[in-house]
Amino acid sequence: MKIIEVKNFSFRYANGDRDSLENVTLDVEEGTFNVLCGKSGCGKSTLLRQLKSDLAPYGSKSGRICYYGQNLTEIDHRQQSQEIGYVLQNPENQIVTDKVWHELAFGLESLGYDTPSIRLRVAEMASYFGIHQWFYKNVSELSGGQKQLLNLAAIMAMHPKLLILDEPTSQLDPIAASDFLETVRKINRDIGTTVILTEHRLQDVIPWADKVYVMDKGSLLTQGTPREIGEFLKKEHHGMFLSMPVPMQIYAEVESDLPCPLTVREGRNWITQVMQKARHDKLEQVCHDREQLLNESYHDEMNVEKHDRAFEKNNEFESTKTDDFTQNSSTDINIDTNEVNSKSNSKLHKTLNTLRSKIPHMSKEFETPAIQVKDVWFRYEKDGRDVVQDLNLEVKQGEFYALVGGNGTGKSTTLSLISRVRAPYRGKILLNGVDIRRYTDTQLYRGYLGVLPQNPQSMFIRKTVREDLYSIIGGAKEKKSPEYTASMKKAEAIEGIVSLTRLEGLLDRHPYDLSGGEQQRLALAKVLLLQPRLLLMDEPTKGLDAEYKQELGEILKKLQEHGITIFMISHDVEFVAEYADRVGLFFQGNVVTSKPAAEFFAGNSFYTTAANRMARHYFPDAVTGKEVAACLKERL
Amino acid sequence: MTDAFSRCHPILNFFYFAVVLGFTMFIQHPVYLAVSFVAATAYSMWLNGVGKVLKINFLLTIPSLLIVALLNPMFNHYGVTPLLYIESSGNWVTLEALVYGIVLGCVLFIMILWFSCYNQIMTSDKFIYLFGRIIPAMSLMLSMALRFVPHFIAQLKVIRNGQKCVGMDVSNGKWFKKVRYALNMVSILVTWALENAIETADSMKSRGYGLKGRTAFSIYRFNRRDKILGGMLAVLFVVSGYGCYHGAAFSQYNPRILLAGFTIFGRVPRQSCSPVLAVITFISFGIFCFLPLMLDLSEEYAMKKSRSHVHSEMTVTYRQIYEELANEMEGEHK
Repeated sequence: MKIIEVKNFSFRYANGDRDSLENVTLDVEEGTFNVLCGKSGCGKSTLLRQLKSDLAPYGSKSGRICYYGQNLTEIDHRQQSQEIGYVLQNPENQIVTDKVWHELAFGLESLGYDTPSIRLRVAEMASYFGIHQWFYKNVSELSGGQKQLLNLAAIMAMHPKLLILDEPTSQLDPIAASDFLETVRKINRDIGTTVILTEHRLQDVIPWADKVYVMDKGSLLTQGTPREIGEFLKKEHHGMFLSMPVPMQIYAEVESDLPCPLTVREGRNWITQVMQKARHDKLEQVCHDREQLLNESYHDEMNVEKHDRAFEKNNEFESTKTDDFTQNSSTDINIDTNEVNSKSNSKLHKTLNTLRSKIPHMSKEFETPAIQVKDVWFRYEKDGRDVVQDLNLEVKQGEFYALVGGNGTGKSTTLSLISRVRAPYRGKILLNGVDIRRYTDTQLYRGYLGVLPQNPQSMFIRKTVREDLYSIIGGAKEKKSPEYTASMKKAEAIEGIVSLTRLEGLLDRHPYDLSGGEQQRLALAKVLLLQPRLLLMDEPTKGLDAEYKQELGEILKKLQEHGITIFMISHDVEFVAEYADRVGLFFQGNVVTSKPAAEFFAGNSFYTTAANRMARHYFPDAVTGKEVAACLKERL
Repeated sequence: MTDAFSRCHPILNFFYFAVVLGFTMFIQHPVYLAVSFVAATAYSMWLNGVGKVLKINFLLTIPSLLIVALLNPMFNHYGVTPLLYIESSGNWVTLEALVYGIVLGCVLFIMILWFSCYNQIMTSDKFIYLFGRIIPAMSLMLSMALRFVPHFIAQLKVIRNGQKCVGMDVSNGKWFKKVRYALNMVSILVTWALENAIETADSMKSRGYGLKGRTAFSIYRFNRRDKILGGMLAVLFVVSGYGCYHGAAFSQYNPRILLAGFTIFGRVPRQSCSPVLAVITFISFGIFCFLPLMLDLSEEYAMKKSRSHVHSEMTVTYRQIYEELANEMEGEHK
């Protein structure tokens, strides 16, 4: 039975100049797990909102959306509230009441259930979701992950038949996110609720999906099982595969006729198979060439030239070997595979190094480091535990340093210490060799240190992007002021920053109307207008999709080329592996290890990229998806 | 709070405090006040700890009591028993005004004690629940307000840290700049709040807010103990109310002091009841005031007893088993 049928549906916002949804046709089977994916701004959320009349934005629409064969507009508010559950992006904003139990009961209260039946439903939900431990708490005491779980439970308490989730984990840390998605999957599996989900973390959900829908520019690009999608994207070479799980990305890059791998485990097996097949082919090739050669040499003594050419095909072999082979007439081919491996490994290293053509390291050991943290201790309360313990850290000039680590280990606190929002009770922090306490506010925050907050919305003051950019340098008037000391004209500075952060065409929009990635770039632009030499960022990739991440990464690389030091805190291992120079692992208020990115991830077995986990049995040094793909191609 | 009375139904909590506070406020009979005072002190010490109550009383309440007690005779000059003539103002300080001042001070003191208990027992959600019974929309509004306050404060902190890092915090710059930066922050907060409220509204709407026939759910249940306790409170209230109605707690301080059951300067109040009724009234009010404390103590005792009981019972049972086994063994040996 089809729970949702969308037929030739088009939609245009009331003030829009083009259709946000164009002729979308899709069916959703009852009880299935569906993933809707696409780049930011492709119309995913717009489509999802159309599936619930109360949330559908105003605008002109054509086509039909049916729920169980009935036109959605004919279904009343009560039935829609009860049967179509909708979880939004931000865990904070969805919570209405102050107590956990009240939040769970909210929907049932609206539907007018009596107290005993609400009590039963709430008890059921709290037990199913493991909420009973914090049932009586205030919602403000919960963590982000708990809040989103509460939102889900509050909706599930109404026993919906269809559960729609619009990027529910974009504001959560990776562990809370995978817990949440696991719960969604459990609901689908145990209760049979139909799930439609959009998500950035596709590696967690794609393997579970019964059906994947890919949207592009407001229309449906393709639909099918995850494997079909993988094959489709490979065939089309569509940019969308950037946001697909890493195994699928690698699959799309490498020639093979095996089925598409979805998880890291499948990816490992796939690599093994590809490699074995390649080796097998190679052996066969060698065998074949040799037989041919021998045969030919029996028949014709004059084709030495030819056999040379035959062996040239096998670039794993040196030409000197050919003599041995031709002299040895035995048919037993015992090729030293180890030798093949070692040969190709040195080559792989070369490949990896060319790939990692990072900015030539100004390894100026004599230069004073940009950040020096010396034996720093910090705690929030007098008798609290030390959040930062005996921390020592050094970031070189012009380096891109990333700090990774679990939740609540004190990473953000460290950032606030370096940005002087908080002060350590013991130890010293030197910026550019000068104690941080000796800077004046103007010296520190205007011209030396730029801090990009986790939530870009906390920086927006004005009605348009342009005004907002001017506001940070003391208004649009061209006069010297303490806020703006550069010799450049303000307009020029803003123009430069806008083109660097690719905000062109957005200047007259309201900051809140920008998408997540654009807001992030606007906040970055504002910080950069202060011309910092050291940029501190707290999880800049939070809630961004693959494409925005790539853009951000490129901007950061460009900044780094101009000598700006970058210090970043992140949960995003993939991003760090791709762009950072050096990575530190933060644990229990301390940096456990600090190494160049590739070395760092190659050395870890758990805390490393999916690509590395997938390919480490063949290419332990390959860290990013691109590198693994390049290594594989090299071998084939 | 793990106190037994706070785990009773909110309506009982509310009723108890309403009665106790009402009686303390309107019946200014010294015996009543004394009973109320002892009960309030005991309960407050039970809930807040002895040290804290003593500290607050000595530092805050007793000085304010003295001030009220002394101010009243300075400004009020009613009464028939002059004590002292103040020449500068040409007024008499009277005994009646002095006594009434002391009584007023005591009322204030006792009320503060009762409110310190009230704050421990009547948490915001109980209050919301009670008013939700009367006006459901109001209970939701209160609940939402209580959600938003910490939410906004947390966001303001985030904004402040963000602004601090671009050198635009209220701690930066001269006073004019400070004001501008503060206004900026408020503006950011308001924009943020309005923008995010849209999502909250969506979330409410998608969960059926606005449908007809909304109910108010609460986690409180009126159980058997609540019924018994409620019955007791009601009976005691009726008895002491009846007694007061018939003048068991009559008090008057102006123009002359008249107290039920007392003979002051050879006068007794005309409106007087039988001593038996007066005693019953006082005792029932006393029991009423001490009921929560008695509940707590009895529960504590029951807990201790049940724990030791379980313990002793099990050892006894096992000892019996061992002894029986030993006897059997001996029997077999024989």
